[in-house]
Amino acid sequence: MRSILLFITFFIMMFIDFSFANFSPFTLFGIEVYFVPKLVFMMLLLVSIYFGLSYGMFFSIVFGILLDIYIGTVYGIHLFGFVAFIIFMHTAFRVFYRDQVGLFFVVIVNTFLFDFFIYGIYKLINFTNLPVFDYIALRGIPSLLLNALLYIPLLFIVLVLRKIRKNVFVKQL
Amino acid sequence: MNFFSKNRMILIIFSVILLILMIGFSVSDRTYTTKAEMFVGDSVASSQKAIGGPFNVIGSIFGPSKKEKELEAKLDMLPQLEADVKRLEEENNKLKEALDVSSKLDYETINARVISRSPDQWLNSFTIDKGTKDGISEGMAVTTPKGLIGVVKRANGSSSFVELITTDSAKKNISVEIHNGDKKHYGTIENYDEDTNTLVVGNIVNDGKIKEGSKVYTSGLTSIFPEGIIVGEVVDTENDSYGLSQNANVKMESDTNDLDMIFVIKQDPKTAEDDK
Repeated sequence: MRSILLFITFFIMMFIDFSFANFSPFTLFGIEVYFVPKLVFMMLLLVSIYFGLSYGMFFSIVFGILLDIYIGTVYGIHLFGFVAFIIFMHTAFRVFYRDQVGLFFVVIVNTFLFDFFIYGIYKLINFTNLPVFDYIALRGIPSLLLNALLYIPLLFIVLVLRKIRKNVFVKQL
Repeated sequence: MNFFSKNRMILIIFSVILLILMIGFSVSDRTYTTKAEMFVGDSVASSQKAIGGPFNVIGSIFGPSKKEKELEAKLDMLPQLEADVKRLEEENNKLKEALDVSSKLDYETINARVISRSPDQWLNSFTIDKGTKDGISEGMAVTTPKGLIGVVKRANGSSSFVELITTDSAKKNISVEIHNGDKKHYGTIENYDEDTNTLVVGNIVNDGKIKEGSKVYTSGLTSIFPEGIIVGEVVDTENDSYGLSQNANVKMESDTNDLDMIFVIKQDPKTAEDDK
């Protein structure tokens, strides 16, 4: 039951991510500012903490492949990025997510780094020529703020999902 | 996880190699869509249509209806139709002189709706609700009512993935002609200048100054694009470092941020074969 609900929630988060592309970029003072939500990625990080690394890995692979094929011009970025960042977080930030504030920073910093990783790859294969400073000011920081806002309802959803028993169907029988 | 901690280095190297291979595969010049890509693309697109359905119903109650939108889009297409008429007239005159030349302007359009934009917002690509079942195939030109906007990169059964011509991988072999008064200059779309928001058309033979405001159309010389699709108008020109050719900055007619109804240009197979 829990896995099915998790899967559906991931799908919904994916479509919320998609729907933001209809509003963003905003033109502020004649400059285009990008607000890019990373709900799927943040949820993957939270799931890997609250449900276990194996859950995180499984959904990383499934949604990495889905996103790569559906929206990707360059394959492998999401698949590799999701898996690598979950392992990176569990190795490098293990100490920090003991309390809620620490966890918040871990997730937000990782989300920023993940977007920067995608930027790095696109820059490397010459798909974008946006300077690093412009990237941080016009995309990195606004997205960071948006994701910080979205984090709170997302954490709530993950905590609710966590309370749902794994074997609800078996118990009823 | 024990396996991972023991063979960490091997796994990391293997993953990096895999990533490089996948990037290599995706940026390669292929003109087909694999069955697996079709399946995944279609299943996500159809679930998105299902989730977006209720919102569209609400939107149609408060906003303009689908039919009104289509009519509006058709009205916006008038400049393209006028351009076609002008070109047909010119071609007709030429045909009178040489009767055995077939028309390159025969094409039909397929109406489609944008169902999702790329959420990472890097490449500004999008997915439309028509696919191979409706006659769409890879490499076809995609236009808004105002002008050329992109190329079909992957065609699934009932959805397709479109890349804007502002994206690096989409611009290969798009040959254009600039109508400078009675004179025509030919060139190819080289890249997109993000600072000035213009397309850079290069390789234009330096035989006279191109006026600002000259209209730019697809030439139909390379790729399967038909002739005469509006691309935009010239903002300014500059000579290259040797002075042999010049580059033109072209402002696109279409707004890439505001896409809803689009048209896929389906070239008449007979004339497409003639081009090859």
